[in-house]
Amino acid sequence: MTASEVTRVENDIILQPLRFRNLQVKNRIFRSSISGRWDNYDGSGTQTRINWEAKFARGGVGAIISSFVPVHLEGRIMPNYAMIADDRSIPFWREVGDKVHGFDCKFIVQLSHSGRQRDVPGVENFLKKGLSSTSRKDSFHGLLCRAMSIAEIRQVVRYFADGARRAREAGLDGVELHAAHGYLFTQFLSSAINDRRDEYGGSLENRARFLLEVIRAIRKEVGADFHLQVKTNALDYNNALYPWEKPGNSLDESVRVCKWVEEAGADAIHVSVGSIFPHPLVPPGGFPIDEINWWYGVVLPSGVRAYLNYTIFHFKLLRPIFLHLWNRTKKLHPIEGVSAEQSKAIKRAVGIPVLNTGGYQNAQLIREVIRGGYCDAVAIARPLIANNDLVQSIAAGKDLPDRPCSFCNRCLINSIANPLGCYDVRRYDGNQDAMIGEVMTVFQE
Amino acid sequence: MISEKKQTITLKETITDRVRESPVDLYQSRFRRRITILLVAVAVLLLVARLVRHFTVDRPVDYGDIREQFKYGSIGSEPGGSVLAPVGGLLPPYWIFKTMPDICRDRLPGGYASLGLIYEKHKDLPIGVSRRRRLGFDQLGFNCALCHTGTFRNSPDGVIHIVLGMPAHQLDLQSFFRFQLDCTLDERFTAGNILARIKRAGGKLSLFDRILYRTMIVGLIRENSMRLRGRLGILLGPSVTSWGRGRVDTFDPYKGLQFNWRLEQLPAHELIGAANFPSIWNQQPREHMHLHWDGNNDSVDERNLSAALGAGVTPVTVDHNRLKLIRDWIWTLPPPRYPSYPGEINPTEAARGRVLYEAHCASCHAFGGSATGAVTPLVDIGTDPYRLNSYTFMLAVNQSSLYPDSPYHFSHFRKTNGYANQPLDGIWARAPYLHNGSVPTLRDLLEIPENRPTRFMRGYDLLDHTKVGFISNVPKEKCHACSEFDTTLPGNSNSGHLYGTDLSPEAKDAIVEYMKSL
Repeated sequence: MTASEVTRVENDIILQPLRFRNLQVKNRIFRSSISGRWDNYDGSGTQTRINWEAKFARGGVGAIISSFVPVHLEGRIMPNYAMIADDRSIPFWREVGDKVHGFDCKFIVQLSHSGRQRDVPGVENFLKKGLSSTSRKDSFHGLLCRAMSIAEIRQVVRYFADGARRAREAGLDGVELHAAHGYLFTQFLSSAINDRRDEYGGSLENRARFLLEVIRAIRKEVGADFHLQVKTNALDYNNALYPWEKPGNSLDESVRVCKWVEEAGADAIHVSVGSIFPHPLVPPGGFPIDEINWWYGVVLPSGVRAYLNYTIFHFKLLRPIFLHLWNRTKKLHPIEGVSAEQSKAIKRAVGIPVLNTGGYQNAQLIREVIRGGYCDAVAIARPLIANNDLVQSIAAGKDLPDRPCSFCNRCLINSIANPLGCYDVRRYDGNQDAMIGEVMTVFQE
Repeated sequence: MISEKKQTITLKETITDRVRESPVDLYQSRFRRRITILLVAVAVLLLVARLVRHFTVDRPVDYGDIREQFKYGSIGSEPGGSVLAPVGGLLPPYWIFKTMPDICRDRLPGGYASLGLIYEKHKDLPIGVSRRRRLGFDQLGFNCALCHTGTFRNSPDGVIHIVLGMPAHQLDLQSFFRFQLDCTLDERFTAGNILARIKRAGGKLSLFDRILYRTMIVGLIRENSMRLRGRLGILLGPSVTSWGRGRVDTFDPYKGLQFNWRLEQLPAHELIGAANFPSIWNQQPREHMHLHWDGNNDSVDERNLSAALGAGVTPVTVDHNRLKLIRDWIWTLPPPRYPSYPGEINPTEAARGRVLYEAHCASCHAFGGSATGAVTPLVDIGTDPYRLNSYTFMLAVNQSSLYPDSPYHFSHFRKTNGYANQPLDGIWARAPYLHNGSVPTLRDLLEIPENRPTRFMRGYDLLDHTKVGFISNVPKEKCHACSEFDTTLPGNSNSGHLYGTDLSPEAKDAIVEYMKSL
């Protein structure tokens, strides 16, 4: 590295460390939560997951936010995702942490509960309705659910606290509560979903109660010196897909929640948008209708609207109906930095670092949002799948890798049925075998 | 063979393994069940709505020109009311009416025209028959023009002139009813025959209609015919003097149809009441005169409505708005002018006749005459009494029960003791004369009864320019659409009305010449 290169790297805000209250990360690129179905059906981890996380650690990201890690079997989104639901999982997560740490990368486990949003509930769950704040099914797949009792809420709070404890015992660097994208926390937070009449529903304070109780329980369990961040929606956009749905939480409401989260003891806020997943704005980009036609069958037994969706995805004459609905909100927003403006509003309101996710790849844009006070770091998933060494590319002075991510979202749709990887064959000059070969590297240590 | 007891699970248990359902399955089962129920309910509702609409639509065929409306427009005489209990109407549905002459060809070889129904060129139906969508079918009904439209010719080969408002002197209504009853009760009157002929005639019935024809319509018509024959059969039989051409018994069918009287129980003489169809032009000056031949009503509107009942209207089916259109039109409809062919009215002769007319006739027959529109007692007028006697006090009482609590309530009918003095406007077109049409020409009427023709033909529409009336001595074989009138039969007497009979032949000729101009 020449002197000028050293100077450039030293001056590049992306490559500057980020200090949280209890954690320091070497640069401003976080691997956002994303995963394939690498693990055993019962939620025990496998070497493949270690391989998967190592790819990004090796590629230079400052920290990895794990995949969706259920704190309980009932809260998983689909089988073959490693869980942190009992103490037997601690050695596996320790192994993951050790592997990642070997690349000077931090590992933050995303403690999650799907609530009703179980895309594939698995044989253990499929005869039971999902738990939620409400008994109304979700708007996309028609996933059934029932409103949790107070006792069940308290039980789930306990699951999160136990999950955090296990993460700390496994030597991981922190936890993130997934309170965005329509999962259980969102189902309580969102005015479009939560229809409870008890102390967990109605006012914003009541709707936020569950999340804040979890934060306090974790703090009580792991102490104040363990990194805890919360991924939350700046906007629900609950009516982005179907205009007859309620819009959900506003930015002002989200800002208030973030302040309460900070007061409750969180070390950082991770800003995203969208009250369901996937959502027209999350992840931003394309909606590969061919892929969804091929792979959506996995979801068919899960939701009461899945057959209707599949019918629409399957028949070419019907597809424009869905695409019109899917794109009608999306086309009003940028793909890259889709929630940057909302992140800025939250960053102004809180005193803790703010991460932002949603379409980041271009180094110039990342520098702009960090320097401009939109956020302190960005979390990236798909561009890192496409280019595991994206950070090294940035360090080498490239604003974009040679074969950048196209935000086509083929990886997203494939992930429900196939090994996760980049499925944009254009990036492989049309060579399907080369593309699949790259996907399969995850199985190699 | 291995014992079944040593098997872990029996074949039967394997086959009958319970089918389990997840919450999603249960939801979808419920949803599909609800959708199915909803779809079935919607389908049933749509079907019911379609049926209700099909059977309740009431859409008459209207005409922009009032003359066309008079000839073919509806006054509500088509069957109506409820499809389950239809009321009113004297005609079968359109397609059955059209095919009946073919089905019962031997009963009506000359078609409806041979009964004196007037067909105009390029018209589907005869004058006096209206078309209206009711009870799910194109129904037919009579209107005023049936009995009040006549024809005349100036010469045997001359043009047939159709005069609206003129008595239908050519119409054999009684034979029409006979044919209708006979044919609908004929063994050939079957759904299969009817549908085949409808198809042959180019009719395109929907499957639904065809099913209705097979399952309901034909049966209903036969039932109705049996009912009509039961009620009115005696009026069509030999015990009653035939109405013949140009005449109708207005009130006896009325007794049977409107009031359900058993006609067989009435005195035989009461069932003989046929009289000429009247003209219906120039109604305004007739208001408050004693209308009908016996002068039993002095309200034009009530008389109109009563006449409509005779055409098949009922209080349920009557179309007051369209009836009023006709009422307003005939209110001022002028009488027809005497045709110029073969020559103008002789003015000298007519002038002389006018003086005589005013001296001998005007007080009873001219507008403004002291007795015009009044009833002359039978003992004074001396004409045939049957028509007078067929209208009874009891009938008048019953008529006052019609249209109760409505603006149309019948309240003007009364029993009289004679015949009303009619204004003679357009009298040249109202032959034969006297209420029962027993005197063929005006000139004959000025003769004493003994000198009046005792047998003559009715229904021939060739004008008699000399005696004023229609040629009535035409041989039977030359006039198939005629009927012979026998003045010796009950109700057909040509007696009475001796006014002017003592004048000289020249004076009588002059009066007749003058009366051409009325």
